[in-house]
Amino acid sequence: MSEIWRTAIVASFNKFLGKVATFLPNLLAMITILIIGFITAWVIKTLLFRFLKAIQFDRVSERWGLTHILSKGGLAYSPASLVSRFFYWVIVLITLILGINALEVAATQNFIAQFFSYLPNLFAAVIILVIGYLIAIFLGQAALIAAVNAQMESAKLLSRSVRWFIIILSLTMALYHLGIAEKVIVAAFSITFGGIVLALAIAFGWGGRDLAKDFLERIYRTKQKKDEESDRISHI
Amino acid sequence: MEPSFQIQLEKIQETDILIGIPSYNNVRTIGHVVRAVMAGLAKYFPKAKAILINSDGGSTDGTQEEVKRVQIEDYKTILTSHPVHPIQKIVTPYHGIPGKGSSFRTIFETTQILNAKACAVVDSDLRSITPEWMELLLRPVYEEGFDYVSPLYARHKFDGTITNSIVYPLTRALYGKRVRQPIGGDFGFSGKLAKHYLTQEVWESDVARFGIDIWMTTLAIAEGYKVCQSYLGAKIHDAKDPGSDLGPMFTQVVSSVYGLMGHYQPLWKGVEESQPVPTFGFHYEVGLEPVPVNLERMIGSFRLGVKDLMEIWRKVLLPETVLWLDSISRLSDEAFSFPQDLWVRLIYDFSIAYHKGSVHREHLLKSMIPLYLGRVASFVKENQESSVKEVEEKIESLCKVFEEMKPYLIERWG
Repeated sequence: MSEIWRTAIVASFNKFLGKVATFLPNLLAMITILIIGFITAWVIKTLLFRFLKAIQFDRVSERWGLTHILSKGGLAYSPASLVSRFFYWVIVLITLILGINALEVAATQNFIAQFFSYLPNLFAAVIILVIGYLIAIFLGQAALIAAVNAQMESAKLLSRSVRWFIIILSLTMALYHLGIAEKVIVAAFSITFGGIVLALAIAFGWGGRDLAKDFLERIYRTKQKKDEESDRISHI
Repeated sequence: MEPSFQIQLEKIQETDILIGIPSYNNVRTIGHVVRAVMAGLAKYFPKAKAILINSDGGSTDGTQEEVKRVQIEDYKTILTSHPVHPIQKIVTPYHGIPGKGSSFRTIFETTQILNAKACAVVDSDLRSITPEWMELLLRPVYEEGFDYVSPLYARHKFDGTITNSIVYPLTRALYGKRVRQPIGGDFGFSGKLAKHYLTQEVWESDVARFGIDIWMTTLAIAEGYKVCQSYLGAKIHDAKDPGSDLGPMFTQVVSSVYGLMGHYQPLWKGVEESQPVPTFGFHYEVGLEPVPVNLERMIGSFRLGVKDLMEIWRKVLLPETVLWLDSISRLSDEAFSFPQDLWVRLIYDFSIAYHKGSVHREHLLKSMIPLYLGRVASFVKENQESSVKEVEEKIESLCKVFEEMKPYLIERWG
């Protein structure tokens, strides 16, 4: 009886030792990956921060209105610091995933494979959002200045409309790229903008026929008046 | 350079005087300009060998043919004698970026190849050019040893507002020379200066497109060439809509001035006061057509700018300047006034922002237009009843404010 017990315990212990012997290199690999990963992340963060400072990224961001938005959102970091920190955490995240993967635990393998196949989409979506936002700020400001110089009273409204149109467009593109409710997104976008255009067309062409007539007449008269009253100053 | 043009130049070998006429679809006026130039050369430089170059930007209205066709059949009808050397005319298209600067480059290159002693450039849309302009633009170079002759025109008191409120006072305060019309369009210059212009690496930049006038003047002053000005009388152009192109005109001129400011900063930081430059020509009053000005629209544009563009201006201006602008935007049309020192402060603040790049440059310059219109409206209001002489005194007083406030610019420029 005691022999059976002893055999069972030894077998169990050997099995455990075998598992530990298999797991230990993976654990060491994970620790090594984490150490190298964290060091790499820190080095890249530092180098990137210095590079961005050297190319005056903060000044460019200020010009594009990014700094203003960050301070509005309560973020105390400079854009250069924020970008370098972003890359630091991306590398840390990748390191963690690689580390977990090194353990070769079956449950995590599938998840990690999915995550890595999805990662390019995530990056593309972030880039679409950032570029879309910058274009929105730039074109919004250009529209504002052009409208003010054309003496349009509703210059700000026009500028905001341009800005939000581009932001919504880039958000839609980003979500579409991420594959989140693709059909719903496209349908919602088409319905919203199609609806706005249709509503304006109906309101202007049918509901507000007289208003439209007045409006066009007023524009024509203003243009005529402007031509008559234009300055004859030669500015140069 | 066209091979046929090069062959023509090789045959000519050298010249004493070279006249350049840049053109683009100016068939209506270029004949008169060519005749005036030829008569002027025959009258005032009869013994000199002279060449007339028409550097054309690809006209399709027969401008080039008109230049070739125009001749003075009988010099006796305008002169007492014929010129010793016949005046040669060459028509050539210019290459490179389309613009007045590229056209000037061809003229400078020709000057260098023909080793010309004195050169002049005149606009092809002039209606008021007379043969005397040739003497006034060329003689200071040909006989007096000057390198650059800037034009001095008689203008209506409300004309040339960008020149009067920005370019002249700023150039004067920065570089210390009182060149009254630095962007006149018609100039005289020496062969030596033309060669120096050609050595500059600007021919692929905006200078080739626009801004050649202020670039030439600034370079001549800043690099220590002998500069003077000649009184040419009235300048009347071919008719064009003056209100249609304020935006591009304003941004092009101001960006050229601000760009040069960045280039020459070590120089202008050391200049403390301005000096007059020698002036040639007989000064006389000319009758000029009245200039209608819509003050209400200009003030309206300024108010709209204050209402909507403040978020951009705040990145450029000090808080007290913002408050000052806000307070004058609340004044009624009757009480509206845009003080000189506020205007000078704005010009300096925007130049700093342009230099630092804190706002996109094109947006920055375009956002200045309502401020400029506000200042012009105030200037017109103040001088409704003033004579030309009194207006000139006001411009002189603005120039002094620019000079007095220069330490503010240097301090904030960094």
